[in-house]
Amino acid sequence: MSSTNAAVGRARRSIADLALRLRLGGVVVFLLLLSAVFATLNPQFLTWQNLAVVASNASILAIVAAAQAVVLLTRNLDVSVGSIMGFAAYLSADYAAHHPTVGAELVIIAICLGAALGLINGLIVAYAKVSPLIATLGTMSLYRGFTYIYAHGQEVTSSKLPHWMLAAVDFRIFGLSTLVIVAIVVVAALGAFLRLFPLGRRIYAVGSNPVASVFYGLRTERVVLFAYVLAGALCGFAGLLYAARVGTVTVILATGWELSSLASAVLGGVSVAGGSGSVAGAALGAVVLSCIDNGLVLLHIPEFWRMFVQGAAIVLAVAVDVAIGAQIRRGLRRQRFGGRLA
Amino acid sequence: MQQTEVAAAPALRISGISKAYGPTRVLHDITFDIHRGRVHALVGENGAGKSTLVKVITGIVTEDAGAIEVNGRPAAFRTPTEARAGGVSAVYQDPKLLPHLDVAENIFVGNFPRTVFGTVNRKAMYAGARRVLQKLGVGLDPRSLVAALSVAELQFVEIARALSTDIQLLILDEPTSPLTPAEAEKLFGVVRALRAEGKSVLLITHRLEEVEAIADDITILRDGRHIATCAVRDLDRAGIVNLMVGRNIETMFARRDPVSPGPELLKVDRLGLAGAFADVSFSLRAGEIVGMAGLVGAGRSEIAQAIFGMTSPTAGRIVLKGREVTPEAPEQMLGLGVAYLPEDRDGQGLIMAETIAGNVTLPIASRLARFGLLDRRREHQIATEAIAAYRVRARGADQVVSTLSGGNRQKVAFARWLATSPTVLILDEPTHGVDVGSKAQIHQIIRDLAESGLAVLMISSDLPEILAMSDRILVVAEGRIVAEIEGRDATQEAIMRAATGSAEATHVLH
Amino acid sequence: MSSTSQDRAFWRPSAWEAFLVVLVLAAGTWSSILSPYYLNIDQILESSRHFLIPGLLTLGLMIVVVTGEIDISLASTLAVGAVLFAKCSAHDVPIWLATPIVTVICGALGAFNGALVAWLGLPSLAVTLGTMGAYRGLAFIIGSEVGYTDFSDAYLYVGSEEAFGIIPIALIVFAILAIAVGVLMHRTIFGRRCFAIGNNREAAWIAGVNVRRTKIVAYAIAGALAGLAALLWIGQYGSARGDNADGLILLVVTAVVLAGVDINGGKGTTLGVVLALLLLGTLRNGLGLANVPGPTQTVVFGALLVLGVLRPVAMTAIRHARSLRWTRSDRERKPEPAKPVGT
Repeated sequence: MSSTNAAVGRARRSIADLALRLRLGGVVVFLLLLSAVFATLNPQFLTWQNLAVVASNASILAIVAAAQAVVLLTRNLDVSVGSIMGFAAYLSADYAAHHPTVGAELVIIAICLGAALGLINGLIVAYAKVSPLIATLGTMSLYRGFTYIYAHGQEVTSSKLPHWMLAAVDFRIFGLSTLVIVAIVVVAALGAFLRLFPLGRRIYAVGSNPVASVFYGLRTERVVLFAYVLAGALCGFAGLLYAARVGTVTVILATGWELSSLASAVLGGVSVAGGSGSVAGAALGAVVLSCIDNGLVLLHIPEFWRMFVQGAAIVLAVAVDVAIGAQIRRGLRRQRFGGRLA
Repeated sequence: MQQTEVAAAPALRISGISKAYGPTRVLHDITFDIHRGRVHALVGENGAGKSTLVKVITGIVTEDAGAIEVNGRPAAFRTPTEARAGGVSAVYQDPKLLPHLDVAENIFVGNFPRTVFGTVNRKAMYAGARRVLQKLGVGLDPRSLVAALSVAELQFVEIARALSTDIQLLILDEPTSPLTPAEAEKLFGVVRALRAEGKSVLLITHRLEEVEAIADDITILRDGRHIATCAVRDLDRAGIVNLMVGRNIETMFARRDPVSPGPELLKVDRLGLAGAFADVSFSLRAGEIVGMAGLVGAGRSEIAQAIFGMTSPTAGRIVLKGREVTPEAPEQMLGLGVAYLPEDRDGQGLIMAETIAGNVTLPIASRLARFGLLDRRREHQIATEAIAAYRVRARGADQVVSTLSGGNRQKVAFARWLATSPTVLILDEPTHGVDVGSKAQIHQIIRDLAESGLAVLMISSDLPEILAMSDRILVVAEGRIVAEIEGRDATQEAIMRAATGSAEATHVLH
Repeated sequence: MSSTSQDRAFWRPSAWEAFLVVLVLAAGTWSSILSPYYLNIDQILESSRHFLIPGLLTLGLMIVVVTGEIDISLASTLAVGAVLFAKCSAHDVPIWLATPIVTVICGALGAFNGALVAWLGLPSLAVTLGTMGAYRGLAFIIGSEVGYTDFSDAYLYVGSEEAFGIIPIALIVFAILAIAVGVLMHRTIFGRRCFAIGNNREAAWIAGVNVRRTKIVAYAIAGALAGLAALLWIGQYGSARGDNADGLILLVVTAVVLAGVDINGGKGTTLGVVLALLLLGTLRNGLGLANVPGPTQTVVFGALLVLGVLRPVAMTAIRHARSLRWTRSDRERKPEPAKPVGT
C-alpha cells in the first residue's frame, strides 16, 4: 500500500516539476497552436512580411511585459506602467525639443525618469506596506496628471524627436524592425540578470515565500523596491521607444498598457502569486497578444474582440496557475508520518 | 556527571534564561551545558518550553534574562542569520523553503557562492549542494525544484542547508516525524558523523527510543523549568518519563465520579485521513467526557477536524445518532448537532473584532432572524444570559471580544457553540492559555454539559486536567489510537508512556 | 475603545466619519469661495449627479471589499448594462421590463466573478482584471463601435428628470439604494456574515457560515448595482457605448478607500461610503466650477487615493513608535494575551 502511495507521490511530483519548468513551454505551444489556427484561416498570416509586423508590434509591449513580470515575481503588481511610459516619453520629447543636438543621453534621461517614478511606487509598496493595487492605481493617475501639468494642458507636443532616433526605429534588417532586436536584447539581458545574479534570485525568493525570505535575512523591502525601480526604468525606456515609433507624443500616450502588460505576463506563465515565471515568457505573451490582434485583423473581425479575448485569456491563465499551485501543495501536504501510515 | 572527553568550553552554555509573554512565564531560569562532540536530547511534554528555548538560542525571540555562550564566547543573536554566522543552525518542523527555486539555491540562499563578476557561481553551488547531500546520503538532484519534493526530502534539504555552513551546534526539532525508519537511520548516521567531527547536536524529540539510540546526554524540561541534565545511560525510560511528568499530583482538580453513560451518540469507525491519521475507532456516549491525550502533532486535532467536516476523511465511517454521515462542511455538521471548539481560539474560534453578542450568535443568527433581518434584541438577550451563566467578566454583550482576557474569551467561545444546542461537543485544548480561576470554571461548565446529556470529546495536553475530567482516555500517537485507559485507572505516567511509545503497540488498559 | 464598525450601524459616526464630515464642509466652503455659483440649492442638487453613478458602483464594491475581496470589473459591467439597455430600447422593450432584465444579467456577470473567486479559489484582483477586459470587450461586441443614442424618454427618465422640479430622480434612487445597502450590511444576517468572513474567513467557516455562497452573492449584488448604475448613465448622458465608464473604477476605488473601508475586509460602513462620495462629489463640483481641467482633477483624486491609503499606515507608525519600548522583539510569534485596544 505504501509503495503505491510512494509511486503516486513520485508521479505527482514529477508532474509538478514538469509543469513548473514548462511554464515557458506552455506559451510556446499556445503560440504555435494559435499561429496554426490563424494560418489555416488565412494563409496570409504566415508570410514573412506579416510575421515581421507581428514581431514589431509586440516588441515594445514585450519590454513593458517584462517590466511587469519583474514586479509580479515579487508577488506585487504595477498598474502605473502606462503612466510611467507616458511621463518619460513626454518629458524626454520635450527635452529633445529644447535641445535639438541631444545624443544618446536622451535614452539615459528617459530611463532615469522612469526609475524615479518606479522608486516612488516601490517606497509606497515596500516600506509603507500599502496594497500594490491601490498604491499603483493612485500613482497611475498621479503620474498621468504630472504629465498633463507639465504639458500645461497641451494635448500634443509639437516637438519631434531627434532624427537619429526616428531613423533608428524605422531601420529594418531583413524586414525586421530594429525594435525587435532591441526588445530581444533587453529581455535577454533581463532574463540573464534574474538568473545569474544574487539580487535576481532574491527577487524570485521574495515572491516564492516572503515569510521565509524575511527569516533568511534577505531584506525583502529592498528587493521589492529594486523591482519597482527596475520596472520603472524599463517602462521609461519603452516609453521613449514608443514615442519614437509613433513619431509624436501626446499626453495620453500608452494609456491602457497596464492591462496589456499584465495580460502578456500572465499569458506567458508569470504567476500572480509570485516566484514563478520568466521575463522571456512575458515577452512571448506579448507576441501572443500581437498575434491575436493581427490574426483578428486579417480575418476582418472587429477590434473589440481583442479586449474580450485578452480578458478571457487572463482568467484562463490565472486558473491554470492556481491549478498548478494547488497540485503542488496537495503533493506536499501528504506524508506527514513518513510512510508509517498506510 | 563524568565528562570523559576533553572539552574546553562547552559548545553551548545556557545560563539563567527566562522568558515571559505578558503575564505567562514560559521559561524559568534555564541553565545547562551542551558539550562538544555530544548529542544532547531535549525532552519534555507539550508546553514544557522546548520550542521557546530553541527560538531564544537561535535569535528568533529575545530572552528577558540570562545569557548564552557559544564555545565560551558570549552570543546574543538577534536573527537566525546571525545565529548561523555564529555557528548555530536549527532545522524546524515546518520546512521554510522557497518552493519555486531549486534545491541548491535553497541550500545557499542568502549565501550564494559568487564568481569574479558578482554573478552566482552555479557550478560551485551545484557542486557544494551535491557534496552536502552526499554527506547526508540523500540521492537528490540539486537541480530539482523544491516544489516537487516530498515532505521527507524537504526535511533533508533543510538539514543540508543547516550543514552548508560551518556550524558548531546543529539543532534538530522533531526531525524524524516526516521520515520513514530507513530515512531516520540515515539522519542518525549524519548525526553520528557530526559528533565524530567534534560538533554538537541538540535533538528535540519525544521518541524516547531515539534518545536511547543516539543521544549522549539528556535535558528534561517541565512547565518551563529545568528539571535535570545528565547522561542518557544514567536514566532508563521510566526514569525519563517520571522526570517529564513527575509533579505533585495537585488535588486542585478533583477526580470525576464514575458515571453511567447514556446511549451512543457518535461512533467513529476506522476513520483515516491520508498522511494525518489512520484506523481511528471510538465511540462517545451521552453524559461521557472522553479525554484525548497525546503529544503535539500526534493527529488529535486532525481527527476532530475530520469529524467536524473541516477536512474530508479518506477512509472509514462516522455514525451520528445511529445514522451514517459524510462530513463535508462545518455548516453541515453544526446543523447535525456537532460542535467543535478549535485549539486556535483567537485565530479560528472567534471573530476578534466582533462583539460578544455577535460572536455568540453567529452560528444561530439565521434561526433568530425574521425575514433575514437580525433580531438584535434576542441576540443581546442570549449573549447577556450567556455572560451571566458562564460568569464572563465583561462590561456587557456589546464589548468587543479582543479586549477580553483569554479565559473570558474561551467562555464566549463556549457560549457560542452551546447556543447551537449540540449533542456532541468536541473541545480542542479548552483551557489552553487560560488563567487558573477560569480553568476551574470551564471545567465545571464541561461537567455540567456532560450531565445534561451531551457527549464530550476533550483534546488536551494538560495531563492533570485529562485525569481529573475524563471518564475514559484515548491516547493518540502518530496518527493512531495506541491506548484506551479507564479514567479511574489512569496515571500521568501511563498516558505519557503510551504517547511516547512506538506506534505498533495498541492496547487497552483496564 | 474600538468596536466593530458594522455594529455601529448606520447612524452613529466613528472618528473617521466625523473627519469626513468636516472635510465635506471644508470642501463645500472652499467651493463656495471659489465660485459664486456654488451656493445655489439648484446647483448643488444638480451637481449631485457627479457622484450618483460612481456611488452605486461604490456601494457594490463596498460589499465585496468587506468580504475581503475586490472587483475592478464593475465599470465594465456598467458598460454592458448600458448597451443592453440600448438593445432593449431598440427592440421597443418597455423600461419597466428592461430594467429587471438588465439588472439580472449584470448580476449574473457579477456572480460569475464570484464563482471564479469563491468556487475556483482564484485571486480576485487578477481575475477581475481579466473580467474587466472581457466584459468591456463584451460591451463593445454587443454595442458595436457606433453607440446608441436613440433612447425613448421613458428610458431617459430616471437618469435625467427631477422630482418636484429640483430633486433629481437619480438622487432619490441612490438614496433608496444606499439605505437598502445600509440595512443589508448592518442589519441582516448576510451583512453580519460578510463582515465575519472579511475579519476571519476561517473562523467564520468554522462557525458555520457558507463562505462560498456569501461571496458569490456579494459579487452578484455588486453586479446588479452596476446594472442599475447603467440606467442612470443612459439618462444622464443619453448614450450607450462600449467605452462607457472606462476608467471610472479609479474613482470608485478611491471612494471605497476614503470611506474608511478596510481593503483587507471586515471593516467599513455605508455611512462612510456616502460621506466619501459626498466629499468626492463636492470636490469634483468645486473643481469643475473653478475650471480646473479634467486631467488635473484626476491628479487630485489620485493623490487623495494615495493619501487615503497612507492614513492607516501613518496611524500604525505613530502607535508603533509609542509602544516601541514595550517589546524589543517584534518577531515573537506567540499571540500575546489581549491588551485593551486603544486607538
